[in-house]
Amino acid sequence: MSQRTAITAFRLLVLAGCVTPAGWLVWQWFFGDLGAVPGEAVVHFTGMTGLTLLLVTIAFSPAFRFTGWVGFMAARRQIGLWAFFWLVAHMLAWMGLDQYWDWPWIRREMIELPYIRYGVAALALLVPLALTSFRRVQKVIRYRAWHWLHRLIYVSAALGVTHFWILTRADYMIPLIFVAVLTGLIVFRIVDAMRHRR
Amino acid sequence: MARYRYPRIPESEVTPRELFESRRRLLRGGLALGAAVVAPGLLGSREAQAWQDLLEERLSVDLPSRELADGESLTPRRDITTYNNFYEFGTGKRDPETYGHRLVTDPWSLTIEGEVDKAGTFALEDVLAGQRLEERIYRHRCVEAWSKVIPWVGFPLADLLKRHGPTSRANHVIFESIHDPDNLPGQRRSIIDWPYREALRIYEAMHPLTLLAVGLYGEVMPNQSGAPIRLVVPWKYGFKSIKSIVRIELVEERPITSWQARNPDEYGFYANVNPGADHPRWSQARERRIGESGRRETLMFNGYADEVAHLYAGIDLQQHY
Repeated sequence: MSQRTAITAFRLLVLAGCVTPAGWLVWQWFFGDLGAVPGEAVVHFTGMTGLTLLLVTIAFSPAFRFTGWVGFMAARRQIGLWAFFWLVAHMLAWMGLDQYWDWPWIRREMIELPYIRYGVAALALLVPLALTSFRRVQKVIRYRAWHWLHRLIYVSAALGVTHFWILTRADYMIPLIFVAVLTGLIVFRIVDAMRHRR
Repeated sequence: MARYRYPRIPESEVTPRELFESRRRLLRGGLALGAAVVAPGLLGSREAQAWQDLLEERLSVDLPSRELADGESLTPRRDITTYNNFYEFGTGKRDPETYGHRLVTDPWSLTIEGEVDKAGTFALEDVLAGQRLEERIYRHRCVEAWSKVIPWVGFPLADLLKRHGPTSRANHVIFESIHDPDNLPGQRRSIIDWPYREALRIYEAMHPLTLLAVGLYGEVMPNQSGAPIRLVVPWKYGFKSIKSIVRIELVEERPITSWQARNPDEYGFYANVNPGADHPRWSQARERRIGESGRRETLMFNGYADEVAHLYAGIDLQQHY
């Protein structure tokens, strides 16, 4: 298999990985069983999927470093945009299915509740990243500026994991996994940057 | 003895109601809600009868038709039994339904000890023998800001406590849930300090609204809902209404409950439903009624203020949440 074919196959795999959960969710909504509170199930599922994809996006860099395979870099933009898509869906699901578009309350919760604030901040930081993911924009801004800007994904992921941590009531097993993975990714990034500086 | 009239749920809270099938036709009258139903007879007290048979026999009697009451729709049975917090089975809302069958309820005994004249360990059938059962339809408000309307079957806790003669030093009542990590998957992890413990002040425990429930929707209590016997304190957040009780102890000093021990800044001893006292991490002003879309305003004392507000006269409920 040529390099080009392998990359195309990998990109298709990433596409399938990002779209399949949406198909599953839509299926469950119409034909399956999302439980007594389907709206809550949708909010949780979109949030978990979005945050997971955000961490996977970050993990593509070390995956490239360790394997040297360019496929990871070729698919990074794609998966990053999918993570953004899922997190936007998460926010819209919260607004519509949890808050029922009650704007005064949505505003109030965004201002008053720390976990909502962290979530909104995490998503807001991803907006400039998504906007500068298109080739046309990338040609306009300098590479260094782009590179600096896209480090915000670490900040966004940290805010997102914090959001998840705060809203957890008693069982921290899954949030702990997210914290561990994100910590590992940040440590790798720092070590890698220091090695290259020398 | 005059029957205690517990408050009806007002007309303003009526919502479209899903039809449900009750094989006992306990809820004859369709929208009839809120009125207390008293059992026409007492539970039998035959020797060597399992508590399930005793209860089944008692519940199989068609209860008298009730007056049509102003109502609010009952939460469908399916929603009541598939969306639960019962960490002994796991922290997922569906874990209690999935793993509920692992709870061993037969035989079941209840220990009553501490500041009582008649302490001891009693088989559940003996606790239920001679006990007048009734149905009570109560709002159930979880601290997580969701709520249900549940038709419980049970009897006032006060009836049981009086039978055991609380002493003058009995100021608080401690309740303890079953501890069985071999069968209960959630208890193999230290999410909270097992066994689960709750407590009430004696005047809360003796209040006629406070129920020991052994069934819902006219049937024996499903395991995931706290079989075989659980507490129901409708004006407090759901976590106070401890499930699958094995021990009741009357004491003088106020004990520390499980959630208080877990997180004292977030869970107080009283845990009265209070829309004005937010949980540190989320608002308590509104609630999601399971099965409805939109949100309801949460009512002070979960709508039972007329019955219980006097218990807390002079207590700052913002501070003593």
